[in-house]
Amino acid sequence: MAITLAIRPRVVFGILGTTLDTGKGPKRWERWRPTVSLCQQDNFVVDRLELIHGKRATRLAQTIIEDIASVSPETEVVQHTVDMNDPWDFEEVYSVLHEFATEYQFDTDREDYLVHITTGTHVAQICNFLLTESRYFPARLIQTSPPRKAADGLGSFSIIDLDLSRYDRLAARFEREHTDAITSLKGGIETRNAAFNRLIERIEHVAARTTDPMLITGPTGAGKSRLAGRIYDLRKHRRLVAGNLIEVNCATLRGDGAMSTLFGHRKGAFTGAASDRSGLLLSADGGVLFLDEIGELGLDEQAMLLRAIEERKFLPFGADSEVQSDFQLIVGTNRDLAGRVRSGDFREDLLARINLWTFELPALRDRPEDIEPNLEFELQRYARDRGQQTRLSTEARKQFLEFAIGPAGLWPGNFRDLGAAVTRMATLAPGGRISRDVVTEETERLRRSWYQHTAGEHPELNRLLGPASVENIDLFDRVQLEAVIQVCQRSHSLSEAGRTLFAATRERRTSVNDSDRLRKYLAKFELSWDDVNAGM
Amino acid sequence: MINIDGSQGEGGGQVLRTSLALSTVTGMPFRIESIRAGRPRPGLMRQHLTSVQAACAVCSGTAAGAELGSSTLEFTPGEVRGGDYAFAIGTAGSTTLVLQTILPALMTARGPSTITISGGTHNMHAPTVHFLERAFLPIVRRMGPSVCIDLLRHGFHPAGGGVICVNIEPVLRLQPIELLDAAPVTARRAIVTISGLPGSIAKRELAVVRNELGWSKECLQINQISDEAGPGNILSIEIEREDLTEVFTGFGERGVSAERVAARTIKEVRRYLDSNVLVWRHLADQLMLPMAIAGGGAFQTCSLSDHATTNAKVIESFLSLKLQSDDNDDGTCCVRILS
Repeated sequence: MAITLAIRPRVVFGILGTTLDTGKGPKRWERWRPTVSLCQQDNFVVDRLELIHGKRATRLAQTIIEDIASVSPETEVVQHTVDMNDPWDFEEVYSVLHEFATEYQFDTDREDYLVHITTGTHVAQICNFLLTESRYFPARLIQTSPPRKAADGLGSFSIIDLDLSRYDRLAARFEREHTDAITSLKGGIETRNAAFNRLIERIEHVAARTTDPMLITGPTGAGKSRLAGRIYDLRKHRRLVAGNLIEVNCATLRGDGAMSTLFGHRKGAFTGAASDRSGLLLSADGGVLFLDEIGELGLDEQAMLLRAIEERKFLPFGADSEVQSDFQLIVGTNRDLAGRVRSGDFREDLLARINLWTFELPALRDRPEDIEPNLEFELQRYARDRGQQTRLSTEARKQFLEFAIGPAGLWPGNFRDLGAAVTRMATLAPGGRISRDVVTEETERLRRSWYQHTAGEHPELNRLLGPASVENIDLFDRVQLEAVIQVCQRSHSLSEAGRTLFAATRERRTSVNDSDRLRKYLAKFELSWDDVNAGM
Repeated sequence: MINIDGSQGEGGGQVLRTSLALSTVTGMPFRIESIRAGRPRPGLMRQHLTSVQAACAVCSGTAAGAELGSSTLEFTPGEVRGGDYAFAIGTAGSTTLVLQTILPALMTARGPSTITISGGTHNMHAPTVHFLERAFLPIVRRMGPSVCIDLLRHGFHPAGGGVICVNIEPVLRLQPIELLDAAPVTARRAIVTISGLPGSIAKRELAVVRNELGWSKECLQINQISDEAGPGNILSIEIEREDLTEVFTGFGERGVSAERVAARTIKEVRRYLDSNVLVWRHLADQLMLPMAIAGGGAFQTCSLSDHATTNAKVIESFLSLKLQSDDNDDGTCCVRILS
């Protein structure tokens, strides 16, 4: 015989209904018995029924098994006798079913699973629902309903897939919610950078599904704190968190005050502790705690924090007993925490605990596409905060973006820089209109301040020529010149420096004048051997 | 490949079963579309799948699309082999309908067969075992093969659990026969089969038979069977003639009184007796297939139902012959197999 069955065998888990499934004598066939009815459907075959029941229901189970054999010879019934003393006790029923689901060898590739939720106490139905929803049962739900006219007890059935995204109408709603969540995480900014958008999608997925610690890394001003606030808003909106968002920058916590600020203290715990203080961790109970610059946290505080994360308990300074706080943790850092672990400044176990979901926010200069929408956002924010609309003329906007996206746009302070730039331009804009002149002034200011910022990269050059002149030298030349000057400073003579600098070409040439070549190069920048070595 | 439209006539399962039976007999593959299109839940249901499975089994055939709810099926038969076969039907589906699908092939196969089928034995909208035993199979035996049916256990809807066993001594060719003249009635019998229900139901039904038809006590019989089969109530009325017995069946239903069940059945018996007809409606449906396979013969019946006309059309798509029906003035009809 060769009937090709493409469908996976159907396996149904069901609790024997000690009320609904009962019935004695021939009359039982006129009753609607959900477990039997499940196997009596014209257009639905149960290949295997995993029938769960208590010891006291063994006889009823026997009747049901025989009746199923009669109406559904295709169905194999596997009996599972469980210890359930009180089927109305949530804890007991949940643990029995949970254990059952955990120990069951599921093979979802080969078999199609369904959980029958019509039988059992309401408590059991709820437990089955929860276990299916949390995928302990990798199954869909099946529900049987009594017949409209009680004639043969057949009734009907319907299958409920808890993957709600499968339902068209619900899917549309979910899609909308998902989009709203993404938009809110982006602060309403229509970002265009693909990598950043992917990152936000991932954060949305994680933020809405877990309350585990999240670690946000990225350079200063990349928006870590803002993102933490938006994650909090999203969780609050989805009712995943009830309490407040407590934000603290660990760089501001120093000494005794650090312990006390975070974990609180009892009155008299130390000099100056005039009254009880609850501390930020307790304030975050039921809410979200955002610890920015976690890398700056002292080792003692790290140890306390780890315990607070793991045990949800900690000991306030000077207290005899521990207090409890159940908070969700988000931490931010611009440091290389792994490096701090290696140098002994950061606890490895704490890093392991917070390093579960790590998201790296890119620097603004790595997201050039997003500068324009963020510019727009900052302008609107200015308008909202100051109650004054400000616009960029088309020309001015073009000029600003050319600078911002171009090679000069270093944005070391990231969004903090951009926000400040917009605030300055908007404030200086005559009649709410930012002109080319205002933009020119601002870009010059930025250039200069970033120059200061990057001055450390070419110390000798700055010392010899002064920042103003260095600014006029291309980065291309700046790098080379800095290296040349450093070689000169290490050499005893011009010719020795020349030999070092032109060593490679020297090998291939017969007659060379390295000293001359070096002298001419330095002269291009109005520098001489003596200038370079002056004060050395 | 023969193409069959499953929606023709009343668009039920009979089109599929007749096609499976004839494909198995003739060795011609077929494709059927719009299976059971006329039913509230169209497509293949469990009991139809069992028929497909049974057809595959007796001839090592293959079926594509044999899935629940499928509306298209492609069936390729192989060589029919007599032997021992067992089939189980879920949902108390009819054992006799599965038998109907494979019997034509097995009664013309090489080698005898024993078929055991479990499921429902007395289903509405299907011939009962009693009907096959008393009305249909005696005629089949006259065409050559020996076919005996044993009811090992009753199976009523919805409990099922019935078992029939059918022994077949095949012949290579069926003999055409003619059933044209109604000989006088020689015996009459009314049997109530009852299970899991109060015995008074049987008595009330037989009381109606007695009053309405004026039959003597000797014609009435109660067949009380064990409660295990679940509730069931069948009234079988037999009209026996020298060469043919007709069986009329009434099914007890919840919410329908015993008197009404009996009255409905008697009404049909009266119509039969008042007409000059030999072969009544349900038997006519059953006879078409073996007669067509025999390649000839004729029977006299009442005017053909939609069901019978559809059946005739399906038969004509497999066999190069014609089922000609000629209506007579007295309301009777003569069906003739013309090759």
